[in-house]
Amino acid sequence: MSQVFHPIEKKIILAVRTDPSLNNPGTLKFQTGLSDDQIRRGIEWLKLKNLLEVKESKQTVITLGENAIKARENGLPEKRLRKLVDEGPKSLDEIKKELQEDFSAAIAYAKKHDWVRIENGLIHPKAPLKPLAEEDFILHLGTGKKPVDQLSHFDKKSVEYLKRRPKFINEKVLTSITFALTSLGKSIDIDAVASGAIDVEASVPHTVVSRIHPLKEVINETREIFVSLGFSEVLGNLIQPSFWNFDALFTPQDHPARDMQDTFYIKDKTTAKFATATQINQVSRSHKNGWGYNWDILEAKKMVLRTHTTCVTIKYLAENKPEDARIFSLGRVFRNEKVSYKHLFEFNQVEGVVVGKDVTLRDLMGIQREFYHRMGLTKIKFWPTFFPYTEPSLQSMVYNKELNKWVELFGMGIFRPEVTKPLGITRPVLAWGGGIERIAMLKYGLEDVREFYNNNLSWLRSATRCQ
Amino acid sequence: MPVVTLYLNRLRKLVGVNINKNKIISTLPFLGLDIEEQTKEYVRVEYSPNRPDYATDFGVAIGLQGLLGIKRGLAKFNVKKGTNFYQLKVDPSVTKIRPFVTAIVAKNGKLDDETIRQLITLQEDLHFGIGRHRKKSSIGIHDLDNISFPLRYIAVSKDHKFTPLESTIPLTAKEILERTDVGKQYSGILGSTSKVPMILDSKKETVSFPPIINAALTTISPTKTTNLLIEVTSTDKSTAEDTLSVVAATLQNAGFDLYSVKISGGKNSTPSLKNRTIRLDPTLINKTLGLRLTPATICACLRRSRLDATIKNSKIVCTIPPFRFDILGPMDLVEEVTLGYGIENLESSLPPSVSIGHKDIITKDLDRLSLVMIGLGFLEALNSSMVSKKVQFELTSRDSSKMIEIIESKSQEHTVLRDAILPGLLENLSKNIHEPYPQKLFETGVIFSSANPINEDIDLACVSAYNNANFTEMKSVLQSALKIGFSIKCETKTSHHPMFSSGRTADVVVNNKVIGRIGEIDSKVIDNFKIRVHVVGFEIKLTGLIFDNVIN
Repeated sequence: MSQVFHPIEKKIILAVRTDPSLNNPGTLKFQTGLSDDQIRRGIEWLKLKNLLEVKESKQTVITLGENAIKARENGLPEKRLRKLVDEGPKSLDEIKKELQEDFSAAIAYAKKHDWVRIENGLIHPKAPLKPLAEEDFILHLGTGKKPVDQLSHFDKKSVEYLKRRPKFINEKVLTSITFALTSLGKSIDIDAVASGAIDVEASVPHTVVSRIHPLKEVINETREIFVSLGFSEVLGNLIQPSFWNFDALFTPQDHPARDMQDTFYIKDKTTAKFATATQINQVSRSHKNGWGYNWDILEAKKMVLRTHTTCVTIKYLAENKPEDARIFSLGRVFRNEKVSYKHLFEFNQVEGVVVGKDVTLRDLMGIQREFYHRMGLTKIKFWPTFFPYTEPSLQSMVYNKELNKWVELFGMGIFRPEVTKPLGITRPVLAWGGGIERIAMLKYGLEDVREFYNNNLSWLRSATRCQ
Repeated sequence: MPVVTLYLNRLRKLVGVNINKNKIISTLPFLGLDIEEQTKEYVRVEYSPNRPDYATDFGVAIGLQGLLGIKRGLAKFNVKKGTNFYQLKVDPSVTKIRPFVTAIVAKNGKLDDETIRQLITLQEDLHFGIGRHRKKSSIGIHDLDNISFPLRYIAVSKDHKFTPLESTIPLTAKEILERTDVGKQYSGILGSTSKVPMILDSKKETVSFPPIINAALTTISPTKTTNLLIEVTSTDKSTAEDTLSVVAATLQNAGFDLYSVKISGGKNSTPSLKNRTIRLDPTLINKTLGLRLTPATICACLRRSRLDATIKNSKIVCTIPPFRFDILGPMDLVEEVTLGYGIENLESSLPPSVSIGHKDIITKDLDRLSLVMIGLGFLEALNSSMVSKKVQFELTSRDSSKMIEIIESKSQEHTVLRDAILPGLLENLSKNIHEPYPQKLFETGVIFSSANPINEDIDLACVSAYNNANFTEMKSVLQSALKIGFSIKCETKTSHHPMFSSGRTADVVVNNKVIGRIGEIDSKVIDNFKIRVHVVGFEIKLTGLIFDNVIN
């Protein structure tokens, strides 16, 4: 509880201590000279501090609706109608012109009271006029209001009757409060606090934060986990020859993924030197044997925005031929996709690779589990899937509590011999990877992946993790 | 990825034993089928294009039988030798247009609406996948009873006339190519040849105009049609036979009897559609999976994956049906063993770590720089490497003569590679004019420049936007960032650039080398971005200053 009292609070406590009959905002206002808003805030604060006991009561009150107010000035429509025809029978059109939107009500109620008859399209007066209880009620209430529980028996009948007519009666629930000091409020010493103290529990304005981009935080976390699992980072260019992005990974040159529909090619750019003669010959032969077509070096020279980070890891393995290694590559990759809430044309991917004499598919699964575990994702299972350059291939499914479903995350597999042999890689290579945005979406509870790249300041300044 | 709809009641009947629907649904992913949509009546699953035998419920049922232990080993695939009556002769005239054709006859089957729908989906998926949009191979399915043998595959003039499928009047080949939707869509495959390929029957009636359309004469209809002719034309013999084998196996599973069609002429011959064998060393399996399975267990796993396997001299001889052309070698059989064994039965293990991990030095330097920039009160932004010409050059008065373009980007706003980061940050400011000021942003990232073929460098860019933003503040930030982060001293030398205010811009110089530019953004540029406060910024090249080029 705050030990500091605002001047408003002091004023209220003192006033109520002096005169306990000041038990509602109206009398308090009169006595203290505080404004409505100050009194409202003061009462709220004192209530939170358990110094004031506040009782709320609700009361339904009646006021006249716009049609009743009109009737109060001009008379009820049915009465106006009768007075018009008292001057002589009138046609429906004449009456309509006179009463306008009140016409239907006038005819209906006048007929109900038997005040008019309609003959050959003319309206004639009939039974004599008489006073109506509801008319009296309207006149008496005027612009005032009356609590429902204070209505007399006759008034109640009138209200019931008038409620059936549109916009005649408004009902409103009013909340009124009364209050009294609690025992604590009666005894507390409001002047006992040292001068210069401030309300340290009061809310304060929001400070604009400067921070790492929320997606970058997840990227950094991913990188840290790889490093902590003994993996070393390999960086590579975003623009790669098709050779390393596709051919070296046994993707046939007529494969749909290589269409301009799916992959970004750079206009008027090819590369002259992209691999050794041996590498080129061996890859060419692997395609001819495996897919049965004549491999074309011109296709391999075309420059693309890399569609995965695998081009970086495979090139590293081909150049260094490590006997044992744990490496990873992390960075932007590109797909020629229409942007939507779940697809971006540019996103971040991480890919890890383990090379070793005795590494197995079970090891690959174990490393996945360990990675996800460190990411805070504990419920994992594996399903088979297909990738052109790994065999066997698996995909990992991670259970998401918020979404209450299994979400597909990283894909994995062992590099095919058709990939490794031509490049002189002799030991088995375990590889896995996937998009980081997908994990980041789970962490920030986002449903639209585009938010990461909108650079919307209100989001950047406020985004927090839910997982 | 292609998708197939599986009606659960039908699928249960095909699987053959009374099995719970939920058991079927939970088994599908273990065949590599991803469930896209699930209702009480059906599931829609995505299958991998390397397994076109899963394009119909007939093929999926065969796979399910294996994993559920209902049936094991190869499914029946039996082609009876047709009489000499079923013949297809290839005329040399097609050699330069579409040289290969293959065919099979399927008899005594029943075609209900759903079976026809499944077959058409299979045909479409094969056209798309192995057929590479019909370019490499295309399939025609015909009512056998309306065809007179022998058939001829021949190139004819474009004036050749027949009534195509779903038409009531005869059209010439030229009219079909120029006027019909399928004609327009696929005419490119035939190129600019004057003649077009046709399959004609012995009465000179047209059966098919590959790879465009069938004739109306041989249209199949539910319940009436019981006998079929399947033909596949292709640019490549093995692709033709692979494609045919998938359709043939599916029809056999659907209850048809298969009969071979004798094919001759050119390099064509009757398709063998025979099983093949691969010898497999159990050591490869156990080494790859980290298990100790006996050869007998391995055989059992393969049989659960609907292959046949026997042990011969401690090696395993695996028999593979022709439609499993996705199996290239022993490693593919390791996967078949894995699926037969059950991925859910594989226990995870951890390989002993032999290495100490580390980040790349560039990553470390960028991390340090980010921390310094945040300390200086800047928020990190992330923009795309692909940008719009308008933002990158027009709105910022920058030179576009060396821009690097991307071919056929699906997004009109992202058609060139960024050669600087600052324009993107200005665009970010323009989209946040209703947010509280000051707004201070920085970004590090790759920028591209034309070289041999393309250079990739890493830049740091930074903006500060509010009413009192000024040059002094920005220079101070730049100095501190370089000094605290990297002990680098920099100077600023007066310069000019249309993006910056005249008299308020400078080159950033380190060791007598220009590494970037700093200044107040020109009021016209600020107007272009509809920003209503002052903006100052800088962009410097980190590559060459703090670290060297990425080489990979």
